[in-house]
This record gives sequence, C-alpha cells and structure tokens, in this order.
Amino acid sequence: MLFEQVLFFVAAAGAIAGALGVVMIQNPFYSVLALVGHLVALALLFLLLRAEFLAAAQLVVYAGAVMVLYVFVVAYIGGADEPLSPEGGAIARLGPLFALALLLELTIAVGGSELAALESAPGTAAPGFGSPAQIGALLLSKFLIPFEAASFLLLVAAVGAVVLARRRRGLEEAGAEGATQVAREVREPAEPATVAGASGEAR
Amino acid sequence: MTLPLAAVGVVENALVQVVKSLIIFAVVLQIVPLILLLERKLLGRFQARIGPNRVGKFGLLQPLADVVKLASKEQSTPATAVPWMMALAPVISIVTAVATLAIIPFGDVHNDPLFGAQWGLYGVDVSIGVLYAFAFGALAFYGLMLGGWASGSKYSFLGSMRSAAQLISYEIALGLSLLGVVMMAGSLSLTEIVRAQGAAGDGIWYVVPQFVGFVIFLIAGFAETNRPPFDLPEAEAEIVSGYNTEFGGMRFGSFFMAEYINMIVISGIAVAAFLGGWHGPGPAILDPLWVVLKMFLFIVLFIWIRATLPRLRYDQLMSFGWKILLPLATVNVLVTAILVVVI
Repeated sequence: MLFEQVLFFVAAAGAIAGALGVVMIQNPFYSVLALVGHLVALALLFLLLRAEFLAAAQLVVYAGAVMVLYVFVVAYIGGADEPLSPEGGAIARLGPLFALALLLELTIAVGGSELAALESAPGTAAPGFGSPAQIGALLLSKFLIPFEAASFLLLVAAVGAVVLARRRRGLEEAGAEGATQVAREVREPAEPATVAGASGEAR
Repeated sequence: MTLPLAAVGVVENALVQVVKSLIIFAVVLQIVPLILLLERKLLGRFQARIGPNRVGKFGLLQPLADVVKLASKEQSTPATAVPWMMALAPVISIVTAVATLAIIPFGDVHNDPLFGAQWGLYGVDVSIGVLYAFAFGALAFYGLMLGGWASGSKYSFLGSMRSAAQLISYEIALGLSLLGVVMMAGSLSLTEIVRAQGAAGDGIWYVVPQFVGFVIFLIAGFAETNRPPFDLPEAEAEIVSGYNTEFGGMRFGSFFMAEYINMIVISGIAVAAFLGGWHGPGPAILDPLWVVLKMFLFIVLFIWIRATLPRLRYDQLMSFGWKILLPLATVNVLVTAILVVVI
C-alpha cells in the first residue's frame, strides 16, 4: 500500500513536471523529451489504476510511435540555437490571461462537483478489469459505433497524409518510387549510388 | 493488495517475486559474457580462424578479461556532448532490456513444498503479455536515440536516426507476426500461449501452423535487436559504430550488454510463442532446460546469420520492411483470423 502511494506521488510529480517542461523549456529537443517523460508518467498512473492495457497502449503508441517521430523530426530540423517563438507579440501577452481563465473555470467546475469520490473508500477492481479481453469485448459491443467512427477518422487522416505527401512529391521531377518518406529523409546525399531514384535516372 | 502487473494468474508472495527477479537477473548477467565468447568462437570458426584462445583454457576466461578491460577504461566525453544525457542513455538501454526479461516463461506454475504456495517459473505473468515487451521495446529506442544525439557527433547522430527509422518500420511487423499466435492461443500472456501449445491446448507447436508468422518474427526480431544484417545503426564501415562511437568503458559496455540481453529476450519470446516453450520430453523438472536449449538454438542462429549475410543497404531495409514484411504480416493475420473463426 505504501509502495503504491509512493509510486503515485512519483508518477504524479513526473507528469506535472513533464507537462510544465513541455511548455517552459526553450530548446525544442528537451521540450519533446519532457513530453516523453510526461507520457511515461501517465502510463504509470494508468498502471496504478489497474488499466494495464491502456498503460501498454500509451507506451507503445504515444511514447513508442508518435513521440519517436517527434524526436526524429525535432532532432533533425529543430536546432538548439533556434528558440521556439520570437519574443513579444500579442499572443505571448494574451496567453497567460487565457490560461488563467481556463484554470479558474476548471477549478470552479471541479470544486462544484464536490469531488464526492474523494471521501469514499477506494473501490476494488473486479478480476480481469482493464484486461485486453475485456476492453476488446467492450469495443466490439458497447462502444462499437464510436470505435468504428474513430477508426474511420484515422483512415481518413492516413489517406489524407498520403495524398498530401504525393502532391508535394509531384513538384520534384524524380519519381523516387519505392522508398518511404522516412527513407528519403534519412538517405545521405553523399551516396548517389544508393539512392533508388538517382540510379533509376542513370539507367 | 497486490502490486500493478502482478495481480494476474497465480498470486505469489512478494518475497518469492523478489527472489525470482534476483535469480533471473543474476543468471542472465552471467550468460551474456558466455554468449559473447560463443559468438567470437563461432565467428572464428565460420571465418576459418580459431577465435580467442589465449586467456584461460580454450579462451574460456576471455569474457572476464573483456569485462575487466571495459570496467577499468576511462569515460570520455566529447566537448560538443551533453554529459548528463550521455550518462542516462546507457541506463535506459539496459533497464528496458532487463525489464523485458521478466515475462519470459521458463516453466509452468508449480506447487511449492517449502512455503506451501504456488509459484511460476517466470518473472511476472502479466495480462498484457507480449504488449509488455513491446512497451519496453518502444522505450528502448530512447536509449539509442539519446545516446546518439547527446554525443554531439555526426556519425553518432546518423546512427541514432537510422535506429529510429528502423525501429518504427519493423516494430509493426514484429507485433503483427505475433498476433496470429495470440489469436490461436486466445491469450496475450506468454505462459498461456505456451500452455495452449501443450497437450491441454492445440497440442502443436505454433511454428507449424504459424510458419509465416515465425519467419516474419525472426526477421523483424533481427532488425529490432540491431543485429546483422540489420545493424545499420552501428555499421562500422560507414558510420564507425553509430550511436555508441563516443561511449567508452562501461557505458559502451552497457549498450553492448543491452544488445545481447535483447537477443536473449527475442529468443525467449520466439521460443515461447512458436517453439512450444517449456514443452519437451522428460519430467517437468527438465522444463527450464528445454527453454534454455531452444533459446540457445536461436542465439546460434543469430551468430550464424551475422557470419553469413552482408549488411543491407538503407533503402533496401526500408522497402523490405514496408513493402514485403508488413503486407505479408497483415495477410497472415487476416488468414489466421478467418481460419480461427471457421475452424
């Protein structure tokens, strides 16, 4: 029990510190790393809530796939000598104001609910709670329509990304077929012999 | 109250869990130098050499000499590096590698004559099973990435970038290749998967019905562990060892050890998912022996492939992963799903 409490406070502090780091650190690379730390701390909180599948999904999808791309791109083009935003500007001045308004609103909303659950004893999770089998059954029965809608949305996004990437590729003349966008980014320009497009032109 | 991840299957004494994790960690830590020696010996034979034979009898003490050499070396930090991150990166690598060891099953649940309780011959039997391995596999990327980025060297950076693209590309195929097995066994847990391959379940090792999945898993597993022919992140000839160029002493040693532990983990998952885990002739007491023996076969395969195949080119690596492995794995999952429902 004590161990769980210690774990909770470590994870909660980590999540808050990570979230603060994302918005306050000037260097984009460290900012992205702070986001990774935040997501890992969230996964730990999910674990404490017995949502093991969610915790794993959080790590695999967000920390593992989404953030890898973020880190990838930022490490490439986000130099440490380029701060994220120029100084001043109306948005920079208005930003804290809106943040404060949001904080007040949330505080009122949460305080208004009286947080009844805080007073009650912690509930016990049923056996199999949060297991992949249970979540799968729920997704295919109770939440079938939202699940399908979300997957359709993702499909649209994926197709849209491909279409946009295609359009940009049309501007270049070399139809470097084969390699994915990632591979195209990574290829070293110093080795023309290895580039599929260049070798295709030579032939 | 049980701790997170430990609340599934057989509930064990906390002390038993601590002892188990210590034993697994200690044994694997001793095995890594032995694999290193095996690799050097076998590579020597494959290349018509003798291999290390100066330190101790048959070169048996060579790993000990290597470890002492690594441990006593100086940690150097380039002027352009980020020192604290260079210290952190090997830690991430080794922690994620060791953590994944916990789910590899070495035997079934046994009754304990000493404490009068039940315990299983594995670290933890988590309900999310193989997803646990993928979660830590996803985090393992940051060890390589931060290592390469923090070194402040172009070659290291290129190596870590390669590892990023490679990991994203092959992790999908790796996950999909295991999905067929998961569907046949009806569980994500590796122990349940092994049980389903025994007499109580389907009674057949999944390498037979899931042969395509097995091959995809092996290839993607090679890519995930950065072993040849997929060792582009550390290609010595082009980018002088990639992400670990600037690391010295035990920091390099940690990266090195993490790679071999990852090899053991991939072998362990392959044994449990495809080769029937602890099943084999003989009494139940031989179970862990069978697992270790089968894992040994995979390790030798890893080394054999290293001596046999040349390194892939980068665009070959990418198009192979996305255009061949991924569609193949998807079709495999689709066919398995139809067969599981129909039969």
